[in-house]
Order: sequence, then C-alpha cells, then structure tokens
Amino acid sequence: MKKALAFLVSLPGLLMIGLARLWQIGPSAIMPPTCRYSPSCSQYAIEAVRRHGAIKGGLLAFWRLLRCNPWGGHGHDPVPD
Amino acid sequence: MENQRNIILAVLLTALVLFGWEAGVGYFYPQAKTPTQTVAAGGAEKATSPTKPTREGGLRDAADVALETKDLKSALASGGRVAIAAPGLSGSINLTGAIVDDLVLNRHRETVEKKSGPVRLFSPAGTPAQQFAQVGWVGEGVATPTAQTVWTAPAGARLTPQTPLTLTWSNPTGQRFAITYTIDKDYMISAAQTVENAGGAPVTVRPFALVNRTDKTASLDTWNVHSGPIGAYDGSVSFATNYEDVAEAKTVANAGRTDWIGFTDVYWMSALAPVGASAEGTFRSLGNSVFRADLVYDQKVLQPRQRMTVTTKLFAGAKEHAVLDAYEAQGIANFGLAIDWGWFRWFEKPIFWLLVKLFSLTSNFGVAIILLTAIVRGIMFPIAQRGFASMAAMRAIQPKMKAIQERYKDDKPRQQQEIMALYKSEGVNPMAGCLPMFLQIPVFFALYKVLILAIEMRHQPFVLWIKDLSSPDPLHILNLFGLLPFEPPAFLAIGLLALLLGITMFLQFKLNPAQMDPAQQQVFMIMPWFMMFVMAPFASGLLVYWITSNLLTIAQQKYLYSRHPQLKAQAEKDAADKARGTGKGAKA
Repeated sequence: MKKALAFLVSLPGLLMIGLARLWQIGPSAIMPPTCRYSPSCSQYAIEAVRRHGAIKGGLLAFWRLLRCNPWGGHGHDPVPD
Repeated sequence: MENQRNIILAVLLTALVLFGWEAGVGYFYPQAKTPTQTVAAGGAEKATSPTKPTREGGLRDAADVALETKDLKSALASGGRVAIAAPGLSGSINLTGAIVDDLVLNRHRETVEKKSGPVRLFSPAGTPAQQFAQVGWVGEGVATPTAQTVWTAPAGARLTPQTPLTLTWSNPTGQRFAITYTIDKDYMISAAQTVENAGGAPVTVRPFALVNRTDKTASLDTWNVHSGPIGAYDGSVSFATNYEDVAEAKTVANAGRTDWIGFTDVYWMSALAPVGASAEGTFRSLGNSVFRADLVYDQKVLQPRQRMTVTTKLFAGAKEHAVLDAYEAQGIANFGLAIDWGWFRWFEKPIFWLLVKLFSLTSNFGVAIILLTAIVRGIMFPIAQRGFASMAAMRAIQPKMKAIQERYKDDKPRQQQEIMALYKSEGVNPMAGCLPMFLQIPVFFALYKVLILAIEMRHQPFVLWIKDLSSPDPLHILNLFGLLPFEPPAFLAIGLLALLLGITMFLQFKLNPAQMDPAQQQVFMIMPWFMMFVMAPFASGLLVYWITSNLLTIAQQKYLYSRHPQLKAQAEKDAADKARGTGKGAKA
C-alpha cells in the first residue's frame, strides 16, 4: 500500500523525465544544436526533477527554458542545490 | 554495428508509428467523409454500418439517412406549420405542440459542393435525426397545453425578423396561453410564453423550455474538442458532461444558476437561455439515443386576472465566433466560450483573430495561412540570423574551443569559464537557445485547433484541388490522383500536400549544418518521409502552413549562407568528409 502510494507520488516526476528523454533521443537529436547553456535544458530538467521532485524541479526546468533565448544568459548553469 | 542497429531501430519505430498512427489519428482526427455520403441522394449507395462520429456530425447509418429523407418529407408535408424565414435560419414551427422542429442553416452547406443543401439542424420528433425545441407549462390542477395541443396562428402568419409570431390556445377553465416567437438575422429565436388566468380560481403553473435531440447525429467528442451536453452555470461553462454520462445517470442536474444549457456539436449548437429569470437546467436521457436539456422556471400561483410571462432564448445555429460574442454582449454569460478552445484559449484566440483579419484582407484562407506563416517566420528571422552569426563565429574558433575542452576535461566549471572568456575575446554570441523553437509550437497547435473547431474555416478553399482547408488533402498519390478506381487505406493516403511537405522538409534538412554523428544523419534522411505519413491525414491548412514554413526556412537559410560564405564552404566540406567517411566505413 505504502509502496503503491510512493509510486503514485513519483509518477509525475517520472513522466517529466520520460518526456525530456524522449525529446533528447527524438527531435533534439536531429535538429541543429542551439544550446546556449550547459547542461542542456533537457538534461537540466532531468537533474532538477531527480533532485527536487516534480513540482520544484519542474518549475526550475520551466524557468531555465524561459531563460534559454537570445536575450537570456548562457554558459555553465547547473541545477542549484 | 552501432549504425546498423540504429537503422533497424528507426525502421521498426517508423513501422510502429505508421500503423499505430492510423488508429490514433482515426480516433482523434476523423476525416469528414461521411457527410458527403449523407447528402448524396440519401447516401444509400454506400451501405456502411454505423461508424465513428465525424467532426461534421450527422447520421452515419445509411438506412437512417434514407429513412430521415423519407420521414422528413412526410412530416413537413403534413401541414399545420408556420414558416420561418430569416437570413440565418429557415424552416417551420409545428402548430401541434408549438414545437420548433424544422430548421436549416442558410449560410452553411452540407458538403463542400456549392450546390449541396443547407445544413439541417432541427428535424421533427420521430425522425432519425430528431432535434427540436419546445416551450410549455407544467400545471397543478389546471389543463396546460401538451405536445398534442393544436395551437392557433393568425392567418397568413410567417416568422421573420420583421414579423413576430404569436400562437394562442385556451383551456376550458379559462386560462389563456400564448407563445410569441421572434427571430433575429442570425440564429436566435426568442420565445415569450404568457399564461393569463381568466378563470375564477387561482392556478399554479411552472413554465419550462426544452431542447430534445438524438445523439445519433452527434459529432465526434474527443479530448480536444467537446461534443455533447453543454451549459454555463453561475457563469462558468462546463464541457464535462457527455451523452454516456447522461445515459447512465438518466438525470444530470446542474448546480448553480443556469445561464444557458443545451447540446453542442463541433460546429453547431442548440441551447436555451432564460431571460431575466432563474431556472434550473437539467439533462435527461429519454432512452433510445434521445436526450433532453430542459430549463424549468420557478412555480407561480396565478390569481384570477393575473398573468405571467417568461422569455427563453433559443440559440439554434452555427458557432460563428462573431455571432456568439454578440449574443454574449447582449447578456448571455460566456456564450462565446461555447467554442471549445480549451486550455490554450489565450494563445489560440489571437492566432485565430489574426487569421480572420488576414482572411478579410485576402478573402482566401489559404493565402491568410501563408501570410500568417510569413509573419511568424518574420518574427523569428532576427533570432535565426543571430543564431547563424553565432554558428559562423563558433566554426571559426572551433580549434581553440577543442583545445580548451581538452585541457580542462576534468574541471567543468573551469572549462566553462575559459570558454566564456574565449567567447568574449573573440566577440562570439552564444547560440539562440531553445525557447524560440518552442515558441513556434503553440502557433502550430493553435492553427491545428482552429482548423478543427472554427466554423469560419469549414469549407474554405485554397487553390486548385484544395476545396476545404479544414479537411485532409483529397488527392491520393497511390490511386494516381483519382485515376485509378480505388480508395487507398488511410495510412497510405498520401496526398500531394504531404508529398510536398516531405520534399520541402528534406531540402530544408539538407541545408542544415552537417551532423557529426552518422546515426543522426540517417535519421535526417528518414525523418521527412516519416513526417509525410504522419501529417497526411491532418487538415490541409496545417500542411499549407508547414510547407510554407519549410520554404521560408530554406530561403532564409540560403540567404544567411550567402551572408556567411565561410559556413557554406564548411558545410560542403563536412558533407564531403562525411561521404568519404561513410564510404570507407561501408567497405571496412
């Protein structure tokens, strides 16, 4: 019961990570490189969700995506602790 | 080895999506094929069993279609009807029961053929496509008119925007009932129902209004676009109730004050709105695929010589956004939201607005879509330019970059710092980032949604063979554009537009800077043809958008290459290296 609940709680995070992975092996692989940050947005999202959970990690990833434009920052930008 | 595995994987995935896709698309995006049969001479020639609903709605069973034609004829010929003649609506009111049960939409055709008949929304009770509206009273200890009551109309009466129609009936105990219908130039009929107590004793009456319809004619209900019971309660529109829900529960009462209630299809709707009175809105299942939405007003005791009037607005028509918004402005709460824009309304509506504006300038929706594409690409151009400039500069400093990456392999932050310093000293801008790319996805989605649900796009031609931008390309390559007498299976139904999409995408990919990874190069080669299959069943307007976008990208790429000749040279050299490399690899 507890295990099932834990799985249910981790589901949104897993879904997000899965989505980011799909992006990485799908569209991202065939498009010209555009990353201005390292790690890339998708990698950042995966790490953020792993470390901070679906909600906070998701928000971090979303914020990173918004910054990932020609007027945003660039360079080394790891997931904050 | 690695390479081969990837190819096998790609082929398998392609096959999977190719076949899985058909089921998926068939479910989410059905093709508007059935309506063509529906009208074509009763549609009896193709005896298909009931299939999935379409976006258009309408009867799907060939037997039903034939029966509808026959029943409709006899029902409308039986007399005892008052004609309705308005710019938006034509039809008649049945004096037996004072029921509005015969309405066609003058401004919308059944099929893309210009000479096809108008769309029929209302059809009398008992016909296969039955849908009608009725107002009446429930009385306590007093005889009220029923569905069999024959009402009296003034001689030579017609319901037009200039001439309202008043029907009257009196019961033996002295209560006089009257219904005054008015109609506007679009799709709104008002029914003012009055009861006057001319008898000697008080009577108790409760006015009601209802819309009754079958779900056999319902359009497709998907996660994306709702078809079925709809209503607004306490100002918020609910798309949550389905026909199945009502059929299961028998009665679905809606909490809150009902602003309007009825049934919607993707393009059409019939709904009731109380005017200045509170009423309870309820959906009911009457069995046998028949459903009812009713408004029941408060009960009232009428003393002798007292009278009471309630007015109900009946919307019966096409969900044209301008018309719905006008009715909302006249006081029907959130009526404009009867169009199921979904969560991304805030983004879809501006795109839709822009499209409609462009359409009013060009009077061709295909041209409007092309202009929209040009605008979107135009906004993206400075970003692409910056990205290109940065790519060119990156190429130039590639050797230095490699050196730094080698030197600080184990110290990522330091490596990054050094790269930043290098950028600064060489005056290089970083890449454009992925946000610009993501910003184009909502535009695409908005166009997709608009093409599905906006009646303004229905039956809008582009050029040549494209007569309806909101439906898939009618030409199929496999039967040589209709020369061979067979209909290819849906997943092989590649139209000319889809082929163009594949070709333009292939050309565009060819212009992209070469990928270092041969496996990625393979995907590059497969992707356009894969997308060709994926996109073929979608609305042709969407393909027009994508093709134009590809062409503009190619033009932009060519232009930018001409501005940065060193990149072009580099790209060619890379390609040559690659060719030599793979050639060697194959031999080895």
